[in-house]
Amino acid sequence: MAGILEFAPAIVLLPFLSFLIALGAGRYMPKGGALAGIGATAGSFVLAVATFFAVSGGQTYNQTIYTWAEGLDAVNLTFGLLIDPLSAMMLVIVTLIAFLVHVFSLGYMNDEGETGLPRYYAALGLFSASMLGFVVSDNLLMAFMFFELVGLCSYLLIGFWFRQDGPPSAAKKAFLVTRFGDYFFLIGVVAVFATFGSAAFAGPDAFPVLAEEALHGEHSVNTFLGMGEEAWFTVVGLLVLGGVVGKSAQFPLHTWLPDAMEGPTPVSALIHAATMVAAGVYLVARMYGFYALTPTTLAIIALIGGFTALFAATMGVVKKEIKQVLAYSTISQYGYMMLGLGAGGYVAATFHLMTHAFFKALLFLGAGSVIIAMHHNENMWDMGGLKDKMPVTYYAFLSGSLALAGIVPFAGFWSKDEVLYETLIHGLGGSPILLAAYAMGLLAVFFTGFYTFRMVFLTFHGEPRTETARNPHGVRWNVKAPLAVLGVLAATAGFVNMVPVEKLLGIKGIDFLHQFLDGSFSSLNAHHYAEILPYSSSYIGGEATTVAIGAGVSLGLALAGAALAYVLYNVPEPVEHTEKLGSIKTVLYNNYYQDEYQVWIATSVVQPISRVLDKFDQGIVDGVVNGISSVSLFAGSRMKRIQTGVVSNYAALLTLGLTALLLGLGLIGGWFA
Amino acid sequence: MTPLQTAPVWTAAAPAIILAATALLLLTIDTIDPDTTNNGLLATTATLGSLAAGGVAARFLMAGTGMESTGGAISLYGDALIVDGMSLFFTLIFTSVAAMVSVASYDYLADEQYQGEFYSLVLLAATGMTLMAMSNSLATVFVSLELASLPSYALVAFLKKNRGSVEAGLKYFLIGALSSAVFAFGISLVYAVTGSLVLPDIAAGLSGADELVGVLGLGVLMIAGGFAFKTASVPFHFWAPEAYEGAPAPISAFLSSASKAAGFAVAFRVFTVAFPLGTISSLGPGGIDWSLLFAILAVVTMTLGNFAAATQENVKRMLAYSSIGHAGYALIGLAAITVDGGAANGNVLGASMAHLLVYGFMNTGAFLFIAMVEKWGIGRTFEDYNGIASKAPIAATAMTVFMFSLAGLPPFGGFVSKYALFYSAIESGFWWLAAVGAMNSALSLFYYSRVVKAMWIEEPAKSLEIGSQPVGLYGAVVFAAVGTVLLLPGFQPVIETAQTVAAALF
Repeated sequence: MAGILEFAPAIVLLPFLSFLIALGAGRYMPKGGALAGIGATAGSFVLAVATFFAVSGGQTYNQTIYTWAEGLDAVNLTFGLLIDPLSAMMLVIVTLIAFLVHVFSLGYMNDEGETGLPRYYAALGLFSASMLGFVVSDNLLMAFMFFELVGLCSYLLIGFWFRQDGPPSAAKKAFLVTRFGDYFFLIGVVAVFATFGSAAFAGPDAFPVLAEEALHGEHSVNTFLGMGEEAWFTVVGLLVLGGVVGKSAQFPLHTWLPDAMEGPTPVSALIHAATMVAAGVYLVARMYGFYALTPTTLAIIALIGGFTALFAATMGVVKKEIKQVLAYSTISQYGYMMLGLGAGGYVAATFHLMTHAFFKALLFLGAGSVIIAMHHNENMWDMGGLKDKMPVTYYAFLSGSLALAGIVPFAGFWSKDEVLYETLIHGLGGSPILLAAYAMGLLAVFFTGFYTFRMVFLTFHGEPRTETARNPHGVRWNVKAPLAVLGVLAATAGFVNMVPVEKLLGIKGIDFLHQFLDGSFSSLNAHHYAEILPYSSSYIGGEATTVAIGAGVSLGLALAGAALAYVLYNVPEPVEHTEKLGSIKTVLYNNYYQDEYQVWIATSVVQPISRVLDKFDQGIVDGVVNGISSVSLFAGSRMKRIQTGVVSNYAALLTLGLTALLLGLGLIGGWFA
Repeated sequence: MTPLQTAPVWTAAAPAIILAATALLLLTIDTIDPDTTNNGLLATTATLGSLAAGGVAARFLMAGTGMESTGGAISLYGDALIVDGMSLFFTLIFTSVAAMVSVASYDYLADEQYQGEFYSLVLLAATGMTLMAMSNSLATVFVSLELASLPSYALVAFLKKNRGSVEAGLKYFLIGALSSAVFAFGISLVYAVTGSLVLPDIAAGLSGADELVGVLGLGVLMIAGGFAFKTASVPFHFWAPEAYEGAPAPISAFLSSASKAAGFAVAFRVFTVAFPLGTISSLGPGGIDWSLLFAILAVVTMTLGNFAAATQENVKRMLAYSSIGHAGYALIGLAAITVDGGAANGNVLGASMAHLLVYGFMNTGAFLFIAMVEKWGIGRTFEDYNGIASKAPIAATAMTVFMFSLAGLPPFGGFVSKYALFYSAIESGFWWLAAVGAMNSALSLFYYSRVVKAMWIEEPAKSLEIGSQPVGLYGAVVFAAVGTVLLLPGFQPVIETAQTVAAALF
């Protein structure tokens, strides 16, 4: 057992291998290379589970694998692996979801007769490998590189159907918007190197540890712009946060995500549950020791998170297409995770990351199943009554919806409740900003319950509203099996961390995730984070009471939302109620005009600047370059003429040259004195 | 304690002896059967002889023969010759080029007469080059230089019915005669001042030369002229474009790679051993600053070579000028030597030697590709090369490797060797020399990539036909390409060896 962590690199390399196989030989293989991907991700999953148990047993792994630039005065740039509870848990999630998505793709892509399958499976393999590489990164630069690879792969997959109009444009948008955030991330990486001389997450020169020592005056670091240590750390933290906001689709860089629905649905599941979007939140959790040191950054994270949770939930209320609803729910749920992290709930946010991965993958795959059944019509108003036609999909989807809405005892309830609970007690402990964020998060619970069940009722209940819905296309085992697995997980994954039950009933030791995340490196465990966080806790009449109130309120709101949806939409012939919203409806349909103002910035601010730069480039830079080349060619043609072809000329020139050298050196050396 | 040390001392010269013996063997074969058409036997003998000599040199290098680890340089025949790491390193360059050229000539000479003479002249020239690298006295320097040069004149003019070849041979010979005269005069002046021809004794005799610094300076300059002729450096370069263009392409490869390296070998030894900069630059009022001389030559040579190459229309002539440009780069090895350089001197000289080794592969390969094109008979200009890749992708790939490597692009050997050369020049404080080199490299990319563009991107002419697939030429070209690529990962031992043996000179 001692050696299992030595195999950790294989978790990353197996999907990469499947990428190479699918790319090189996919067209000669049955199923277009799918089997290689399925085999690779299954292998990775087995290894990840083994790693998980090894880490549960107290083992950890932090090793530099390859130093690709050394001998610089300040820093060495390395690739390395860091396996601690957080990354071990994430490895299991990512490999499981990637495996299920591969299987599901057999039904969604192969059975539907799509072309370009080797390209699809190659990108899927690289996507999984990049995310896994990101998860096990032991330093910020390596994390950044894999972060970018993840972005590249999402571009390739979102734009998979590149012959249609929508997907290429959506892919470009996803790429550009996340890249905008990544600029800040890149500057942040450089800033971390410049400040600490190291970007390692763990080990003796881990930058979070160095930062902590610097704040205690035990270590000196370089700060810039004349700032004090804490102010500078805040700036660095916010720079890195730029990448997080882009990738995790937080306000205001969330606009790419709904468009990304243009990609194949299994890809959406992968992007939303386990890879691209999860990468942002995971990064904050990965370097939480650093963020926990700067209260301002934490507050900003919490506010962004709470606001995004509410903001996205309201937009999800009016959407017509099933995947659009899910897209906004993803933004909203990642808002909760950011809220949890900002509010000091490291375990709570990680917990929500896990449960969300399961139920969101489930919902997307369920939606994919519905889309297959509906012959790729995604409009919920054309559905209805699918409950009886596709029971497996229905019950699995229902399980996921209950989890998403946060209804006890499904997984989402436990994690969302813990996020809100941590925010509440830290807010009560003297952080009014957290209370504001809490209020937004709480309000979002109501909207979540509403849009989730609106989606369920419109899709599955009532009478079929179109001919397709009356005679849906069947789905096979390769669609149903992943749904069943995830359906069970969405219902039960919450039981690993039943903090409310522990607090209310006084049963000790059932907060398994807390214990798990408390293992390993002393600078990376939950216990350490709790110590350095700038928050204190306070309760409304005792801890148990607070737990009960918090859980009760959020559950009540979720049920209220669900109930409203029941009243409005669980009828045989539902109708649109959006007219009742009045002018708000227009605002919501237009997503608060977020796209419009970003386009305005691009065309009215960025474009004129670009034009000026283009002028500079075309006129001055190119002018100089062209000038040099024409001067060189002219000089060359002159030099060519020295070579006349007449030997006596050569002899003369040779002698003259020698004489010139003799005179020159002789005068310098004083030979003629 | 290697077993070799128990062998008689003269065996240290084994590489040169093997080459000379092979040359004689070739002549014997030719005498027995003068009208032979058995080209294969001759080519095989020449190749095996070169490889054997190279193998012995490599074995000696690994065993440390003539190096500090086994008791220092081995001196032969009253100090006339010396075997040390540097001579072995250069022998390796000459023999590998000679082997590639011999293999390639098997196809190139297929229908020619007098093949026995051809191969024996190649090996005699290689013998002369090996002796140049081993020379420890100005007398042997001169004799071995002539031994390398005289066969070269004949080889350039080998295609007797080709006017270009004959004309090039004659011009080469005339310039060579002039240069030899200058060189011999230089030797006599140095002898007059120092009273010796043996290199270390010349260095010892410098101390009393304060009065005669002008005479000595003239002698040193003229000796430098002789080497400039051999290395095709300005202003002794005039023969090169003509000779390289007119000569049979394998001979162009041989001259521009091996012969040039030989010139550098002997120049490195004479200037570092006989005229140590520390002593000679403090003579008289201003001394003889030969590092300044070589700095000037380096800048002028690389600039002239690259600028002239940029405007050529004929690919072979372009390569001839590029070869002049590379002589300029290699001259940095001498130009960047400083009085109190210490280890940096050995580093920059070693880097220059390593560049010459890499250059031996990439430049030979490029000329051999030209030989193949000549064999195909599809013309000489860039336009004639249009679309070759569509007919001969392997050869075109190899040529692409040579071109990018010559330009100094990764991931090929030419990238690291040029990088090491410029880097060590900067370390010695000659950043401006490195900057000029880098700018010239940037310019060179222009004309090298023209070849690549013609081969891969341009549409082939309708009439483009490639008749034969010459095995020997293909083998040699692919071998050179593989060598050029492998010298990137394998550069570490090369540069270490080169810098170690170079450091032993100071």
